[in-house]
Amino acid sequence: MAQSVSAPVERERTARQKAREAAAAERSEDQTDLLGERSLELSRYFGGKIETVPKVPVRSLADFALWYTPGVARVSRAIRADPESAFDLTGRWNTIAIVTDGSRVLGLGDIGPRAALPVMEGKALLFKFLGGVDAIPIPIQVSSPDQFIATVEAMAPAFGGVNLEDIASPKCFGILEELQKRLPIPVWHDDQLGTAAATVAGLLNALELTHRSVREVRTVLLGAGAANLVTARLLLELGHPAHQLTLVDQKGVLHADREDLDELELRNPWKYKIALRTNGGGRTGDLAAALDGADVLLAASTPNPDTIRPEHVRSMAKDPIVFALANPVPEIWPDVARSAGAAIVATGRSDFPNQVNNSLIFPAVFRGVLDARARSIPDEVVLAAAKELARGAARKGLTAQHLLPTMEEPEVFPQIAAAVGDTAVRLGIARRKLSHDEFLDRATTLMGRSGQLVRALARARLTPPMPRAPARRRRTR
Amino acid sequence: MSPESEGGGRSGGPGESPGVPIHLRPARDGDVPALVPLLLRLKRLNEEFDPLLKVRDDADQQAKQVLKADIANPKAVVLAAEGVGADKDKVVGFVRALVRERPFYAPEHEGVILDIYLLPIYRRRGVGEYVLRETSNALKAKGAAVVTAEFPSQNEIASRFYTKRGFRPITEVQARSL
Repeated sequence: MAQSVSAPVERERTARQKAREAAAAERSEDQTDLLGERSLELSRYFGGKIETVPKVPVRSLADFALWYTPGVARVSRAIRADPESAFDLTGRWNTIAIVTDGSRVLGLGDIGPRAALPVMEGKALLFKFLGGVDAIPIPIQVSSPDQFIATVEAMAPAFGGVNLEDIASPKCFGILEELQKRLPIPVWHDDQLGTAAATVAGLLNALELTHRSVREVRTVLLGAGAANLVTARLLLELGHPAHQLTLVDQKGVLHADREDLDELELRNPWKYKIALRTNGGGRTGDLAAALDGADVLLAASTPNPDTIRPEHVRSMAKDPIVFALANPVPEIWPDVARSAGAAIVATGRSDFPNQVNNSLIFPAVFRGVLDARARSIPDEVVLAAAKELARGAARKGLTAQHLLPTMEEPEVFPQIAAAVGDTAVRLGIARRKLSHDEFLDRATTLMGRSGQLVRALARARLTPPMPRAPARRRRTR
Repeated sequence: MSPESEGGGRSGGPGESPGVPIHLRPARDGDVPALVPLLLRLKRLNEEFDPLLKVRDDADQQAKQVLKADIANPKAVVLAAEGVGADKDKVVGFVRALVRERPFYAPEHEGVILDIYLLPIYRRRGVGEYVLRETSNALKAKGAAVVTAEFPSQNEIASRFYTKRGFRPITEVQARSL
């Protein structure tokens, strides 16, 4: 262990630095408390965040003879004769289900489907606002993965895609795999794919900036949950040498001789397979043992700023790349990582540079697969989105502080959607084969329309203005 | 006939099957120290399935004795799996099986596979097949006309492994604490 190394280093960190970190942590907690209070008030005031809105004119009740019976029977007959025509004749082309069992919601854990609903409503709002996607929140009460799968399969006829959300690992892997196999529409689990795609995008740019290739680096992934297991898989698909990839979890380096591997084969075969493929040097032990000489550290573990120590960063190769993605508190504060020598640092937070944020990915990915009416969403599509996100940052100029586009650079979203659409066409999984420009135009229009809609509703006072926040004293500690 | 007497493998040695990264041979007394940790890994995995399969504190002593006794027992089959190439001479797995008499049923002699364990990186396609074939042959050579396998009911991987290879459940063992 690095005990003897860490003691002098501990003294090295100045009192000022420690005070600054403590203040940052407290500020962030205070802010989270305040935002929580406000969110609760607003939820009560507005009664939730989304509603369904007609998309056709209703001049009088007589129009319902067209929108509903008897006219609609002809539409149903048409779909019965040609099931695929549902994508033309109904809103299926643009509607997805956001499904959760509430088993791992944000940092809250297993809070169940009822308590997960406000989160799913928020996600639906993001889908609509950023992606122009009609997303329906559907938290379900189920008692087994099989029941989860059967339930989603049963509701699939209404949807052009499914977004799985906040499901505990490792059951999320089996549920995603099985639904992807069974359903003729894209099924996505954002905690796996969205986070992994954003991470890979950031990493590709970080490597570009430090003149390295994914084919030659040595990478350590800290945390072996939903996101990092998929990040590992995507890196391998990009040509990262398997023997130069090492995963580390709470029990230390994940390697083929570890005592718990038999149990993993049963309970988490996805992690088991990665354990057998990676860690070529036969490293064992803790994070320090894994990191020595590594180029890249991708941490998606638990929020604690002492998880990654400055001496860990110092032991890495020249120009180390450190992604500390735990939320709300990263595994190491960015300034601590930089002063320990990190060339590039990214976190999951919007108040530091280089936020790795799945909101950069999922609205555009769904815009793309829905516009292509894709039958599935293979990893090639995920990687196409990641690469296009990376290019989006590069177009604006790549620096150590601008690794990824921010949410304030919306022009990248239609580009990602078009790249996703193109890839679906190329792979032969698109029901509708548009050209690149057609995908781009369509995404630009549909994504822009949501902003117009929100503004128009506000102007017409159909959504009431934000109520004033009550005066609050800053909480004393 | 033991797997060793079968010959027929590649130059890697008798009992080896083409494309399989292990080689099976009868275990010797000298293998016991290497076999004990493997046996314990298997038993500790079984612990996952049921509290009534809790591993005893003195399990490593027991493992040593049981393995020694079985290696000496003419009615038992204990095979050691060695790696090939760089891993030659490294014990990477084992099989323990026993020929039991069935006083009421025909056929009279049953070969029971009690333990099969291979270190994870040696569990490649075809390895299980090879181990099962070699074990069955060794049991047959000791007079068994039927082969059975015992494992925790909840072990779905084991259950799938045997079902795929033509096994079916014939006896159910249920338990409760007293």
